[in-house]
Amino acid sequence: MWLVWDMSILLSALSLVIMLLLIARRVLQERRGSAAADQRRSLLTALIAFTENRDREALKAVLLSVPASVAIDAGFEFISLLRGEEHDELVSAFNECGLPALVGKQLERGNGAERIHAAEMLAALRSENAVASLLSALDRDRSREVRIAAAIALCDVGALPPLVITLRKIGIAGQRSRRLIELFRRFPPRRFDELEDHAGRQDAVPFTRAAAIDALARSGGFRFADFFARAVGDPSAEVAAAALRALGLTGHADAPAILVKAMANDDWDVRAEAANAAGRLGLSELAAPLAQLMDDEAWTVRYAAANALRSFGRAGERVLQEIAASEVSRSQRTASLILAEGPAI
Amino acid sequence: MMVADWSHGVVLAASILSWFIIGAGLAQTAVYLLQLIVAAYALSRRPPVARSALLWHRYGDVAPPIALLVPAYNEEVNVVESVHSMLALEYPNFEVIVINDGSKDQTLQRLIEGFKLVKFHRPYEEAVTHKPIRGLYSSPMTERLFVIDKENGGKADAQNAGINVCRAPLFCVIDGDSILEPDALMRAAQPFIDDPERTIAVGGTIRIANGSRIEAGRVREIHLPTRLVALFQVVEYLRAFLMARLAWSRINTLMLVSGAFGLFRRAEVVAVGGFTKGSMGEDMDLVIKLHRYMRDTKRKYSIQFVPEPVCWTEAPETLSVLGRQRTRWQRGALECFFRYRSMLFNPRYGRVGFLGFGHILVVDVLGPVAEVLGYVLIPAFWLLGILSAEYLLAFTSLIFTYGVCVSVCSLVLEEAELQRFPRARDLAVLTAVAVIENFGYRQLNNFWRVKGWWQFLRGDQGWGEMTRTGLGGAKK
Repeated sequence: MWLVWDMSILLSALSLVIMLLLIARRVLQERRGSAAADQRRSLLTALIAFTENRDREALKAVLLSVPASVAIDAGFEFISLLRGEEHDELVSAFNECGLPALVGKQLERGNGAERIHAAEMLAALRSENAVASLLSALDRDRSREVRIAAAIALCDVGALPPLVITLRKIGIAGQRSRRLIELFRRFPPRRFDELEDHAGRQDAVPFTRAAAIDALARSGGFRFADFFARAVGDPSAEVAAAALRALGLTGHADAPAILVKAMANDDWDVRAEAANAAGRLGLSELAAPLAQLMDDEAWTVRYAAANALRSFGRAGERVLQEIAASEVSRSQRTASLILAEGPAI
Repeated sequence: MMVADWSHGVVLAASILSWFIIGAGLAQTAVYLLQLIVAAYALSRRPPVARSALLWHRYGDVAPPIALLVPAYNEEVNVVESVHSMLALEYPNFEVIVINDGSKDQTLQRLIEGFKLVKFHRPYEEAVTHKPIRGLYSSPMTERLFVIDKENGGKADAQNAGINVCRAPLFCVIDGDSILEPDALMRAAQPFIDDPERTIAVGGTIRIANGSRIEAGRVREIHLPTRLVALFQVVEYLRAFLMARLAWSRINTLMLVSGAFGLFRRAEVVAVGGFTKGSMGEDMDLVIKLHRYMRDTKRKYSIQFVPEPVCWTEAPETLSVLGRQRTRWQRGALECFFRYRSMLFNPRYGRVGFLGFGHILVVDVLGPVAEVLGYVLIPAFWLLGILSAEYLLAFTSLIFTYGVCVSVCSLVLEEAELQRFPRARDLAVLTAVAVIENFGYRQLNNFWRVKGWWQFLRGDQGWGEMTRTGLGGAKK
């Protein structure tokens, strides 16, 4: 019992001492804080002046006069606002002041949030050593978020290793992140084949395969339409749904037959995407299967089918009106609701 | 002989009772200290991203759509300003759905006037049950806003109506009188971006806005409350969020995502039937249902707490209102514990059954009763000479000195990692509050919790009136 008492006194005293030290630290920070804000302000003024007069030496003098952390932080935000020649000159000024080396150190030694930010800054600064530092982070960093950030940064500087290797380095757990969608969307067109290969790999994580298909559909266009048409038959519902979304964007000569088949898929997500694709492509010849889909057990599918019909214009609306006027059923209710959608009269 | 037997029996009973009280206190303290260690580890592993501009740059393109569900009952004072601030949130893809839960005041009228609302038909799935909807409204001023006018059915019922009408895969519940920081959704959505398959719910931090400068539905300057009752709650909330929830989240045993600010994946919430109507603790109830459903269906999942997204709320400033709130929270916790008691120590539910429910048992079910019993019995037994001073000191240390340690350590966590209080003076004030709250306020709180126990046993279902002055009335 005495131990309970003694420990409590010790722990309470210790916590109070730590808190008092933190308060003292804060007092010091408050005093320094205003100085840092002034430095940041003077740097931003110099950066704005640089965009007007392009006086690189004057900017470098200011960059070197403020603490590196302030320069990197404010500089990164400013660089990301610029484009073209102005941007390149500013990046050169930062490189000449040796700031990327400090960012490189942050990528190695900072905490998780700092390391992710450092990867982004290295991509923006495009220094000589950026690729080596980023490759090292992709290879060795213990955090998957940092490894993904490094991969995105490498993609931005045009030095991403082959996709198979990149994904292996990111690790299986990291292959669930939506950040990979961003990585795939940044892929240069000359490397789209890698995305296609990955999307077609049955042993890859379905989420990444679907993300690769989405990225190809956004940027690759009709070139991959045949691939999307094949991928609709993929055993993974996630991949099939992504392929249908893609087909809805690119279109395909066999789209009507493919979509009708997909509308009978066991997975509701696939059926809904098939209906959406039919609507997006304006395939009014699919009005009959879409009308059938309006009796689907899943609301999302019924709603997608009704919306697709509505997107066909008068012909589709006529079908909806006929269903709405029929006997009370799931499809009848859905049709009525869709027809009524919008401001009440 | 008989007198000796009798006195021996009394001493034995007193000793057993004292051991129970001290044992419960020890267990509770051990849980708190463990939480502190885990929370400190979690915070050090995942320090916050300082600026929201960075988040937008990083996640803006891949952030999933979110529907913000805002139940409003008699909120005419704040509702328009609150909705304006929600519409100004920094998130690429979201809609705000205000659910007027049969308010008796001018809540709906204020919304109609404030946003020029017109009646609107929007097809929706009747996936979860709720009281009938009288009308849906949209605003020509913004495509992001929808208002549901429905018959009164309580907060859970209103949220269920919002779940049905919303179309986003994620929804965020928030109280009508709360203020979300502009980047709160972006920060809360981060786990859904990093691990979209497994993340099913995310909770953020609730902070107390009393005393802060609020303009146009935004907290412009953070100040501490001027009233002691609200100051105590600042420390309490730090302890609850930064210590307890962060720790439980780290080991995927989070049992509560606050109804004042929580982000959920719609599909799973629909699968468990939405919020349980008539529940005193509908937020805890939902999280427990989600745990049970995911465990029953053997799916991998995570329910997380992220400390950085902040929702500001108004704390009660009078003891009577605070007392009603706390007795209600206690009834809510007990209701959930007994409703899902089959999960307690059930191997089928793994760490949720052992750690999550074990924690509720120690802290919410046994804790207040043991502590209040201790206040009366331990000193009495000592005065009667039944217990030695050792026991008295042990009890005192568990209540007061460990209490100081836990509260101050929560503040240490806040200052070491987040630094949300802008001035050193605020920290000094909060440190003092963290000490003195253990001498009076803690006891009062436990009294309210025991009262909650009593009301629970009597089957009292009243919510009690929650008088608010409105955040617009905070320091300007």
